[in-house]
Amino acid sequence: MTLGYRPGDGLLHRTHPFTTASLAGAVSVLVFVLPGVLAPWGLVAGLCVLAAVSGLLPVLGTAAAFSAPFWGFLILIHGVFRDDLGTAVVLAGRISAMLTVFLLLLASVHPGRLVDAMLERGAPFGLAYLFGATLQAVPQLQRRAAAILDAQRCRGLRVRGSLVRRARAVIPLAVPLVLGALAEVDERALALEIRGAGSGARRTPLDPPRDGAVGRLVRWFLLAAVTGAVLWRLLS
Amino acid sequence: MSVHLEQVAFRYPGSGFDALRDLSLEFAPGLVHLVTGRLGSGCSTLLLVIAGLAPHVTGGSRSGSVVTLGLDPGGSGRRDLAGRIGLLLPTPWTQLSGMAYTVAEEVAFGPANLGWNRDRIREAVDGALRLVELERFADRDPRTLSGGELQRVMFAAIVAMDPAVCLLDEPAMELDLETTEMIYQHLPALARERTVIVATTDLDRAVRVADRVVLLDGGSVIGEGNPADVLGTARAVEAGATTSAARIAYLAGIAPTFPLTVSAAVERFSR
Repeated sequence: MTLGYRPGDGLLHRTHPFTTASLAGAVSVLVFVLPGVLAPWGLVAGLCVLAAVSGLLPVLGTAAAFSAPFWGFLILIHGVFRDDLGTAVVLAGRISAMLTVFLLLLASVHPGRLVDAMLERGAPFGLAYLFGATLQAVPQLQRRAAAILDAQRCRGLRVRGSLVRRARAVIPLAVPLVLGALAEVDERALALEIRGAGSGARRTPLDPPRDGAVGRLVRWFLLAAVTGAVLWRLLS
Repeated sequence: MSVHLEQVAFRYPGSGFDALRDLSLEFAPGLVHLVTGRLGSGCSTLLLVIAGLAPHVTGGSRSGSVVTLGLDPGGSGRRDLAGRIGLLLPTPWTQLSGMAYTVAEEVAFGPANLGWNRDRIREAVDGALRLVELERFADRDPRTLSGGELQRVMFAAIVAMDPAVCLLDEPAMELDLETTEMIYQHLPALARERTVIVATTDLDRAVRVADRVVLLDGGSVIGEGNPADVLGTARAVEAGATTSAARIAYLAGIAPTFPLTVSAAVERFSR
């Protein structure tokens, strides 16, 4: 289960980063605004189709793996204790839709292209880099955690077994993960500064994403859909 | 002089002592300067001060005057010096931009930040990758490379920016012997039109290409001059900064100046 960008040339890879980001934003709003069980699960179904045509089917597995614990808790809390399975299904749909759309965003948007797109629209480098780095943060932490886990296992740490044993294993994993990440931030700041990140020059986009009429139309459509849905809920 | 330091002292934030003390040094272009000393003697800090990153990025306090390429790198000259000072850090993975999915993109990150046009960037990237013999890796994901390969990529990334001052902090930290030799062999050519300052404890190899040595101990300069005069002394051996050949000569009770390389030792002992 790998998070982060997956190289490819599917539909979402060819889409302008702003369009994919707009989709993620729109889905996150619509799952809460649209009523009923069908809306969130309908969005999930739509995202599944999008993942399939974009060659990103493995992302659905990752989304399901991340969503499953939430489903379990929701069914337990709402379905078993409160006898309200409907709410559990709605909430599970919302969580699944949001996780799926953000994992698709992570998998299809190259951080460098996102930075290029933002710089092209006049965003300052610091802000653009912050957005790009955010997309990278989760996969980087995942890789670092795997390396720390391997190292600690070699030193005799047992991470399988009872719940207590697993909980006890968290500290030797979390502490080096956090401290290592903090130390890395310092060195990366030095490296970025020396590589012209604070030069004040307008960065040359290496491979700027093309923003066609269809992409712009899709973004306007998403904005209209979100605005319409919010107004409809407010007025009804 | 491309780098001039006058009575420079530097202290890291929260530290109770100065990492650099009363340093007055000059570094001329056209030479490979070697800065050495035992670990903690201030070599890396000196490079950060020359680059203007200490205290600008690291925090802390600096006194004295630092002039790099005619400007104060930590103050008013910071923006004008962008791209004119290159710094290679010892750990390659912390230097990755995080924005590149190919080695070529990683090398292009610096030139792109400087606003160069795409043709110039492409030319600089190709030349730098050729220099470190990594052209065949141009389309590889940098995260799939070994530490040594990645360090070569970062070396190429610095060279691609065509800096006037090249600061290399333990450039061979992750490299095997063969690649270390390759990197060191490039330094004299690199220094032809630039100022190259290498901070390292790997003196056996570095000394072969160094034109001048600055020996630090406890943040102060205790020796400065040509490699034989500075590193071939008992003081250099006692400061923990000399070559294996010189150390053996010292232990064998040979009179200074000690030979710094195996070939110099053979010549000396065969007399």
